[in-house]
Amino acid sequence: MAERLEAKHKGGTLVSRKIEYSDTSDPMEVCYQRGWTDGLPVTPPTDERVLEMLKGTRRRADEVVGKIPPYLGTCTVEKVAINAVLAGCKPEYMPVLLAALEAALEPVFTLHGVLATTYFSSPIIIVNGPIARAIGMNSGLNVLGQGNRANATIGRALNLIVQNVGGGRPGEADRSTLGAPSKYTLCFAEDESDPEWEPLSVARGFPRGVSTVTLFQGHGPEAIVDQKTRTAEGLTRSIASSLVKMGHPKLVQSARAVLVLTPEHYAIYKESGWDRKKIERALYEATIRPGREILAGADGVGEGVPASRAEEMVPKFHDDGLMVVRAGGPAGLFSAVLPGWLAGRNKLELQPVTKEIKT
Amino acid sequence: MTNWMRDPTAETSAVKRARRVPPKSLEGLTVGLFDIGKTRTPEFLDRVEQRFKERGLKTYRCGKPTNAKVATTENLQKISSEVDVILIGLSD
Amino acid sequence: MNFDSRGIPGISVVTTGFTDAVATQSKALGFEPAVLFVPHPIQNRTPEELDKIADVIVEPALKLLTAVK
Repeated sequence: MAERLEAKHKGGTLVSRKIEYSDTSDPMEVCYQRGWTDGLPVTPPTDERVLEMLKGTRRRADEVVGKIPPYLGTCTVEKVAINAVLAGCKPEYMPVLLAALEAALEPVFTLHGVLATTYFSSPIIIVNGPIARAIGMNSGLNVLGQGNRANATIGRALNLIVQNVGGGRPGEADRSTLGAPSKYTLCFAEDESDPEWEPLSVARGFPRGVSTVTLFQGHGPEAIVDQKTRTAEGLTRSIASSLVKMGHPKLVQSARAVLVLTPEHYAIYKESGWDRKKIERALYEATIRPGREILAGADGVGEGVPASRAEEMVPKFHDDGLMVVRAGGPAGLFSAVLPGWLAGRNKLELQPVTKEIKT
Repeated sequence: MTNWMRDPTAETSAVKRARRVPPKSLEGLTVGLFDIGKTRTPEFLDRVEQRFKERGLKTYRCGKPTNAKVATTENLQKISSEVDVILIGLSD
Repeated sequence: MNFDSRGIPGISVVTTGFTDAVATQSKALGFEPAVLFVPHPIQNRTPEELDKIADVIVEPALKLLTAVK
């Protein structure tokens, strides 16, 4: 009730255009008709809801966050809030969403390309730090699946912003051949329950205890099964043999990936005292193969490297291309890979981006 | 009581959505003639259809059986699969 | 009745007594309807009058069915 009165008074502080509808219309259907959804229903963005959402951030509603590709629509904090309402976010998710949006707008993230590509990719959001627990994110059972509001709606809100503010729609600027369910949303928190594990945020240069988002261009997940290997070295070779199959076994261009390492696989590494750096380095090296094993044209298969690279040792990934993230439920000897976008001529051209979440 | 929602877009398009972009030419297309059930509509559409046919257009007659009831989804789906554009009449 | 959302561009033929109602519907739906008006009433027209009214809208209808907006 108080909100409704506040909305009546402060409705004047919202500047976004009003879209009117009659008493006989269902606002949920109006959202569909106006093309604001991702195919699933959205929450109608009434003044009350938008004002409530704006309470989740100290930033002013009229602050410009950036211009959203592909059509470079101007996105204010108010527009972020409206799309956050559509997605079903709670106000306390706003700092995460704002940080994710700013990360996605960094030039090296190449958001326009990610949207427009024929590949499967979309912005994947990985959250680190105290805010993940504070807002109730999931880093455990079914972490890459459905069921958690924060995971589901933060990722969704970012994609809705690209669609609604940027104008990026499938069949128009979005030329993805197949797309992926991850294009609805893929956002999760890293499992930081083990204090000995270096979180992704720290690996990427932020102090422990600072909350961050890492934006990664990718899709997924794809399963990596190993229910037999008991040693760190063996598990490395095993996971590597799956990783090299990413996209195509002979493809060495899609050179970034996130490995989601589940607890039971991590336990094998931990038992041997392997830390993040050692795991990532070992996996990187285990995915280097002689050029002659992956030559183009062999057996009539076109993919592969040219004959000129036959004597080279060819890596699957950029040397900074593999990011390990711990997540998942306590049982299950399966990890997963989130393959990166098939793009970028060199490792500097296209990169994940990490930003601090400021509340 | 006016109801409204706040626009989540960059507001570069009109508040009113433009109608679906029509084809550049009707050549080879099927024009639907939808009878919404008002009195005299069948004769009216007969004449319009005759004129369309004289111009070499393909036509498809359809409609709902009575003005009082809403068109069924099944009916609308069937019609949508048979026509490329549609003329709906008469509202009296 | 929304053919627009099913991918079929459509036009409506409406008698002139009905102008206000069309405007209201358009506001609620948020899109510009393509509407042709014919003189009101229709029920009591002779067959010849009805034919004339139909003839008059043929060209405008064809134009509207292919009009680029």
